[in-house]
Amino acid sequence: MSDSSDPSRRQFLGFTGKAGLSTFAASAVGVNLGMVDVVAAQTGRRAVTPFRFAIISDPHLYSAKDHVFDKQLEDAVAQVNALATQPDFVLITGDVSHHGELDQLAKGKRILSKLKAPIRSIPGEHDWYLDMGVGWKAAFGEETWSFNHKGVHFIGMNSILVPDFWTAAKLTPAQRRDWFMPLNSPVPGLWGVHEKQLEWLRKDVANISADVPVVVFTHSPLWDYYPRWNFQVSDSQQVRDILGKFTNVMGFHGHVHHTIYNQVGNLTSVGTMSTSWPWPYPPIQLPFPEYQQYRADPSNTSDGMGSASVAIDAGGGGFMQHLPFADSLPPAMKNGYKV
Amino acid sequence: MSSHNTIHRRLAVPLAALALLAAATGTSAREPFTAAELKSMEDKLLASVQRGYDMWYGGRADMANNGLACANCHPDAAATNPQTFPKFLPVFNKVVAYRDMVNWCIENPQGGKALALNSDDMTALEAYSFYLHRGAKIETGLSTRQTASPAVTTARGFAGKSTGIGFDK
Repeated sequence: MSDSSDPSRRQFLGFTGKAGLSTFAASAVGVNLGMVDVVAAQTGRRAVTPFRFAIISDPHLYSAKDHVFDKQLEDAVAQVNALATQPDFVLITGDVSHHGELDQLAKGKRILSKLKAPIRSIPGEHDWYLDMGVGWKAAFGEETWSFNHKGVHFIGMNSILVPDFWTAAKLTPAQRRDWFMPLNSPVPGLWGVHEKQLEWLRKDVANISADVPVVVFTHSPLWDYYPRWNFQVSDSQQVRDILGKFTNVMGFHGHVHHTIYNQVGNLTSVGTMSTSWPWPYPPIQLPFPEYQQYRADPSNTSDGMGSASVAIDAGGGGFMQHLPFADSLPPAMKNGYKV
Repeated sequence: MSSHNTIHRRLAVPLAALALLAAATGTSAREPFTAAELKSMEDKLLASVQRGYDMWYGGRADMANNGLACANCHPDAAATNPQTFPKFLPVFNKVVAYRDMVNWCIENPQGGKALALNSDDMTALEAYSFYLHRGAKIETGLSTRQTASPAVTTARGFAGKSTGIGFDK
């Protein structure tokens, strides 16, 4: 069941070892393009140049000065900056702010600006529903995007969209936002990416070869993990169908505030720890229970949180390494695992 | 001990006879409460559960000085495990009751003012958490392993309109 068993890990390390040797040999003779061709020939895939990216999830910053969550986000920034191999970029998977207030978003941008690597962001529900994303977009850019990086296609989407429940009810912006605050809120209902982004996604990947590795970021998971807490995307099936042609799709998400792993068709889905607080696991049978982080000790304010680093190898495969602030990882995850 | 056993044996025969007589005549002992009394008590309990729910989700301001509520870490009272109290907790270095841990959370991660241990509000917080855990096996002393959240099976959480209620009833 586990992909992080020793044989897989040895296989992965062996593979990266070969790729690293190829890189070294190619660099030594100054023929980078030639190296890429060698790797492509070895793997039967399109050429991917190995690199890393990092993930920081769910800072949930409050307005109060020197709030404890400020320090925890700063700790995550320091973790990523201390990585021996720096990431090419850092993905922020949403909920930078807790109330969507402009000062909270500005604080997040200020702390995240200390990262050595550039950032890419997608919004969470806490960022969005005070002003329908106006402040978030001004601070962090568009909520739907894609780019190609070293042979991998990266996609980011806004997965927290719901039908309008506030206009007819004459809710104020703050009331609308507040109905999203509880994880089990009775009002907003199940959220998703909705048709406009689905159409964008269809066009975005239409001309991309099926053997190109795809990495997709959403705030919530692209499978029905636990809908009561919106650990889901209501139209995730459509997203998976559109991405179904690809050999390898890696999905990374925040929102759940704990580690979670699943495989659905060609999608490998990984949830990351938050920097703010850990959420318990819901009352369901986890698909891969060995990827469940340890129960957090409430008396240890660093326990159960952290950031993450992902290495992409020359074959387009990923290797996930959660970076907890404390000792939160069981053996299956402690030394990283293949995704 | 032997005198107790003697009393039990002496009572057993007449009690059995009474039970047989009741079965034969179709009569039964009076229920301790009428349906109206039961409903009144149930309503009072659910009102306390509702109060606890509201407080759990930030309804009492002095429970935090940093904006955090119980629900930040414990949606649906998850990972609170009231069925495991009383138990020894290292942070207290003694055996404590559930309400002691509630106050610990209020004073530490939430930076708020502890509730009076015998207050109606403390009882309401317990009522909410215990209500969601009804049916859970009592495992006093369990303290460390990852435990499942209570299963809240109703779809009422996504009712489409505000009920103000986040528990399964």
